Amino acid sequence: MNFRDVELLSAYLDGQLSPSDSLQLESRLGSEPQLQAAMDELRTARGLLRQLPQRRVPRNFTVTPKMTGLKAPIPRVYPSLRLATVLAALLFMITFAVNGFAPLAASRLAAAPAPAYGIGGGGGCSNCGPSESVPAATQAPVQPFSALAPTEAMPATQDNSRNLGTPTPEPAPKAAAPSLANNQQVPISKGTPIPFIWQMSIGLLALICGGAAWFLRQRNEREFRKRWNKK
Amino acid sequence: MDEIALIHSAQHGDLDAFNSLVLTYQGSLFNTALRILNDEELAADVTQDAFLSAFRSLNTFRGGSFKAWLMRTVTNACYDELRRKKRRPTTPLEPEAGDGDEMDTPRWMADPALTPEGQAEADELEHAIQHCLDNLPLEFRTVVVMADIQGLDYSEVAVATHTPLGTIKSRLARARLRLRECLQGFRELLPTAFRLLEEPTR
Repeated sequence: MNFRDVELLSAYLDGQLSPSDSLQLESRLGSEPQLQAAMDELRTARGLLRQLPQRRVPRNFTVTPKMTGLKAPIPRVYPSLRLATVLAALLFMITFAVNGFAPLAASRLAAAPAPAYGIGGGGGCSNCGPSESVPAATQAPVQPFSALAPTEAMPATQDNSRNLGTPTPEPAPKAAAPSLANNQQVPISKGTPIPFIWQMSIGLLALICGGAAWFLRQRNEREFRKRWNKK
Repeated sequence: MDEIALIHSAQHGDLDAFNSLVLTYQGSLFNTALRILNDEELAADVTQDAFLSAFRSLNTFRGGSFKAWLMRTVTNACYDELRRKKRRPTTPLEPEAGDGDEMDTPRWMADPALTPEGQAEADELEHAIQHCLDNLPLEFRTVVVMADIQGLDYSEVAVATHTPLGTIKSRLARARLRLRECLQGFRELLPTAFRLLEEPTR
């Protein structure tokens, strides 16, 4: 008897031999007592193992969300709400930026063209010296964007330049006065490109979306925790 | 709910469905780990780890015997544990008798349904079998525990151990032979039925 026979006997005990191999082995078992003895020994060993008692489990091995790192399911609308919140918040900040930078941009635009009106096209005016057109230019930064329209700015500077040549200084204040009055008439608050009501609406939208997303998430997590704490 | 539906639900993150499967198979997995490791505490830890690992890798299950797939996770966990033990050997925490020797029949393994004498005999036989199992090479022990103690068929054992069917047959035959030789040393402990069975062969 060799190890191949032991393999055959072991498989035969488990019913893993083909019908033809089984028949062949059975005929050999009848004629070979040594083979029969080996099979009995294998059957004994197998029987002893099979009768080993199954131990009762010391505890249940169920898995908890904490073990797996499982989190409460995210509400379906949560991603949309979160996106809406982010976009609204971004838009809200942009409106503030636009409204805040608009007067600054206007003042820069105003600072550049103002001297050109008064001097008559002289960028390279080396011998201009201190003249009365300079105050006109330095006044420009405080003017709002709407006051920079050439139709309104031109008369004032032209009047000033004309007044420079006149020997009597009396008409100058008279001519300057209407231009200043014109400038003061332009309302500064009307210059904000995005109305306040729009800003507030966008801010409110961001708050509502963010609040709804937070509330839904919290509610889901509460329910999830409650469900697992019960078990 | 049938097993396939439970597996499908569990694969979609349903922990309740997975826990139903845990309750079905925890006995088999724990007993397999216990027979391979011969340590109840370790076997419990390994079984828990195996279920956790099974839940995390549930999407890799592609059908077939779910029990065999679970057995594979617990076998791998046992191998990891034995490797870890080999690297960092620890002192056993089994109860000791007054003279410092380990008790042969720890009280925690007692079955209340048996008489004290019967219990003692059963414990001794079980210890003899466990002793013989422990002396088998790990791959033989795994195969014999799955096939003979847990009753898995050859193909399931092949899946669980990731080994060809022919190798399973060969390992099982060798394991049974070695166990038979080992158990001859405990003849007086064998139940009468087994003694009668072996009488004519001698």
